[in-house]
Amino acid sequence: MSRYSSVFKDESKLDINYVPHTLLHRKLQLNLLNQFFRFAVENPGGMTQRALIMGNIGTGKTVLSQHFGLDITKEAKQRNINLNYIHINCRECKGSLFMILQRTIMKFYPNFPRRGYSAEELLQALMQILDDKDAYLILTLDELETLVQNEGSDPLYNLSRIQEDRINAPKRLSLICILRQPEHLENLDPSTRSTLQRNIIRLDDYSEAQLEDILADRVSLAFRDGTVPTQTLTLIAELGNCERGNARYSIELLWRAGKYADASELRDVSPECVRNAVASVYPVVRKDMIHEFSLHEKLFLLGVARHFKQTDSVYISMGEAEESYALVCEEYGETGRGHTQLWKYVKTLSAAGVIETTVSGVGQRGKTTLIGLPRVPAADLEQELVKILMQGGR
Amino acid sequence: MSIEDVFSSKGRVKILRILSEIGELNISEIARRAGLNYATTNQHLQVLESYKLVRHKTFGRIRIFRYNEENPRAQMISKLIEFWEETK
Repeated sequence: MSRYSSVFKDESKLDINYVPHTLLHRKLQLNLLNQFFRFAVENPGGMTQRALIMGNIGTGKTVLSQHFGLDITKEAKQRNINLNYIHINCRECKGSLFMILQRTIMKFYPNFPRRGYSAEELLQALMQILDDKDAYLILTLDELETLVQNEGSDPLYNLSRIQEDRINAPKRLSLICILRQPEHLENLDPSTRSTLQRNIIRLDDYSEAQLEDILADRVSLAFRDGTVPTQTLTLIAELGNCERGNARYSIELLWRAGKYADASELRDVSPECVRNAVASVYPVVRKDMIHEFSLHEKLFLLGVARHFKQTDSVYISMGEAEESYALVCEEYGETGRGHTQLWKYVKTLSAAGVIETTVSGVGQRGKTTLIGLPRVPAADLEQELVKILMQGGR
Repeated sequence: MSIEDVFSSKGRVKILRILSEIGELNISEIARRAGLNYATTNQHLQVLESYKLVRHKTFGRIRIFRYNEENPRAQMISKLIEFWEETK
């Protein structure tokens, strides 16, 4: 039996869903968020609030909001206020208000019926539940772009409007919206947009020094003492900085480097482990993200990746992507989906940041959607997808 | 109101057992778990509600039934079901 002991003491502290006790380099933004929602503990029911958190990938949008949620609900509990914080990822809900509301209600009623009702009915039901329980809710809509792309302005309008219709009733529902790409705000109607834009918290990319602080903090929580040398931390922070200060990428890299150290039975996480890890982590296209796609989204993406492997062009047309997808479907014995469904997949994949889309311009007959794969090598994406599909990750 | 009215019906006992275990459910789900049809489940629930053993909340078209833990009789029945299951 091997006597090797792992470099990790608690690798859960590197998990994507872990919310650290102290939020480094986001104190100002956390204070701002606390100020916006101060009324929720001082004068609950008196008003409602909407805030927008914007920033690039890995700038701490989700963790900021979740940290705030933990803090404010703790304070509310001490004051005997039934304040709930619910964090919903719109992409996981496929950009559907119905699914978002269903998940929200199921936090209060885990056995609430899953179908047979409209989103409007669910919204009314949610308000009634809050009234019945004398509860207040801060609902965070993470990756809001998926919801806006899928359903436009209406969901946010309805979520805001529901308060206005209840003139003398306590205001119970506040919103935090988390958005990566500000251009999606353009798709909202002017009134919804202006309401949201009143309270914006912008998160700048982390600097190299800030990333190093964050990594050092996580190392102290997740690794055994002395197993991660300073030069390893510096290297990861440098790499994270090259990815526009992406802390999530840096933390994933740290975890993976630790795994390489364990696999090689090393006593510490050397810079060489980081280099090995770099080759297996793509900053934008994370494995957990690919896993969440439906089978046909994966097959479509595989078709796109394979097409890009065989061509030097920056974009391929929707038609070419469909042909490639048809071949992949044949290979996997699946019946191909129709054009409209594929168009929805393109929108989902684009909102997730895996592919980029643009509309064809001069020099091409007619108008078609062009698909680009700017962030990840096609061959590696293909390999990853094939692996997931082989494992039955459908 | 007699005890036979509650315990003489297999359907009502099934519903009581389901709700005492799960807490709260909508009619369709109770019906599915009890292996009964919707109308029968609805009738049984009305009887049980008249005995204050279950209660319901309405959210628009959605009705959620729950076991009435506040009722002393419901508490005793819940204990009986629990004991029965443990000593099966």
